[in-house]
Amino acid sequence: MEEPIIKVGDLKKYYKVHQKEPGLIGSVKSLFSRKYYDVKAVDGVSFEIGEGELVGFIGPNGAGKTTTLKVLSGLLYPTSGKVQVLDFTPWERKTAFQKQFSLVMGQKNQLWWDLPAMESFILNKEIYEVPDDQYKKTLDELVELLEVEDILKIQVRKLSLGQRMKMELIAALIHSPKILFLDEPTIGLDVVMQKKMRDFIREYNKRFNATIILTSHYMDDVKELCERVIIIDHGKILFDGKLEAIIKKFADHKLLTVILEREVDAEKFREIGKLESYEFPRAVISVKRSKVSEAAAKLLKDFPVDDLNIEEAQIEDIIREVFTAENVKS
Amino acid sequence: MLKYFTIFSLSLQNEFTYRLNFILWRSRNILRFLMTFFLWQGVFYSNRSVFGYSQQDMLTYVFLVLVINTFVLSAPSAENIGGEIARGDLSNYLVKPVNYLKYWFTRDLSSKVLNLAFAVFEISVLALMLRPDIKLPEDLVNLLAFFLASVLAMVIYFLISITAASFAFWRPEDIWGARFFIAILIETFAGGIFPLDILPGFLKIVLQLTPFPYLIYFPIAIILGKITGITLIRILFQSLVWTLLMFFLAKLLWKKGLKSYSAEGK
Repeated sequence: MEEPIIKVGDLKKYYKVHQKEPGLIGSVKSLFSRKYYDVKAVDGVSFEIGEGELVGFIGPNGAGKTTTLKVLSGLLYPTSGKVQVLDFTPWERKTAFQKQFSLVMGQKNQLWWDLPAMESFILNKEIYEVPDDQYKKTLDELVELLEVEDILKIQVRKLSLGQRMKMELIAALIHSPKILFLDEPTIGLDVVMQKKMRDFIREYNKRFNATIILTSHYMDDVKELCERVIIIDHGKILFDGKLEAIIKKFADHKLLTVILEREVDAEKFREIGKLESYEFPRAVISVKRSKVSEAAAKLLKDFPVDDLNIEEAQIEDIIREVFTAENVKS
Repeated sequence: MLKYFTIFSLSLQNEFTYRLNFILWRSRNILRFLMTFFLWQGVFYSNRSVFGYSQQDMLTYVFLVLVINTFVLSAPSAENIGGEIARGDLSNYLVKPVNYLKYWFTRDLSSKVLNLAFAVFEISVLALMLRPDIKLPEDLVNLLAFFLASVLAMVIYFLISITAASFAFWRPEDIWGARFFIAILIETFAGGIFPLDILPGFLKIVLQLTPFPYLIYFPIAIILGKITGITLIRILFQSLVWTLLMFFLAKLLWKKGLKSYSAEGK
């Protein structure tokens, strides 16, 4: 692998949060003295990302995904740890650094609400000092990719959420950033729009060899876009690698789906494996990897089986299990 | 810098989309003007001179408040910066190669230009309708000093706004209280309702120890020729001192605030 452009070593970020006791008395108390406690938003995270990679951060709410992105974009000082992005220290907020990346937060907008999005593009062109011809070329390309030709001159407040998100993306990309941090880019969008966003992100990554880090709640985003995922929970990395490897690492079982010819007593499946669901004629049984062929043979021999299917467990389920297991531990 | 020119132009366009808002804001200024105008006219109905002011002086003062308000107190930054910090919208700017405070100062300038343009028009209409007996300033030195004092007033007000808005870094939930408190202080003690020299002696002295009189009262007193010679130089100097003091205070709070913002990161 060539030299990584994002390097994070043992990053920690603790917040002080004040605590308020419930009720009015608690409110009065907090006027005079406040109790603070530490929240370990990011707790010793290390990773490296190479140029052109498209990496997905996944994890439940409050896992530390957004905090990590904010440190990478220079909005937050870390409590400790080393961070280098394009050889810059993000929180120094050097102009040369800021001109090379963009942060898009699905829940925040940077466009001027009362003016057409076009005006915000012009403003960003000036802020990032993009030359005229490059601006024109980039804008044309983005407008074509996102199919927004006809809404460029409409007040932002009158656009739908999906249309607005597209405009947010254009505004964020007008200076052709090398690195793109996308925090929940598809939040609140309908399924069709989510797909369009995904297609665009993939295309952008390919066409410009842009490095992209994406956080999302939607597994689909990550599944479709990212070869590599980093799973974060409670501020720690649980997994960093190829998506398929999650299955090998965490899923010690496979799913056997059988279609039955006649109804069978549910109890009888117990000797094969764990019965996940049973609605005649369909039964799903989860079986240890090592026992799969044995179980399949037994099913075919002893049960009135019409059809049999062996599948890997769903990534969503695996990840959910990983998170629940982690929560139980702590 | 081209980027700030674009910000200026966008800001103007933005004001135009809030047409009604703008008209209401101007109406508020005119109503307040009419209120003070008629109040003083009533007072002078039975008195020739009040607190050492002739009717002509006082009505001129009231007219000048309308003008100076436009370029000193017209500042969207005052209402917006605190909220942007509290909501975390400041982040949008911090990741970009743009200076947030210059950005807002530029937006203020565009608002000032727009308001001044309208005020000139309004004053012409009002002057034609009310035909007041006002005295136009004639002394060139005082006129120049007035411009200098007004520019400093503009800057002082901006710095006060930033200082107040900085509270949002630590107490985002209390920012409206802080903002409102400052607004009341300015409303009362800057000299926009009455000339401050009608106040009793000790209050006058106390007020001189605050930056507020430098916003409206002193610039107007200068153009009215009430302050001349060595006093004029002293007042201009004090105005400059306040500008510097507020500059360092605002800078300190902003820097500390940003540090805490970056530490907590909303």
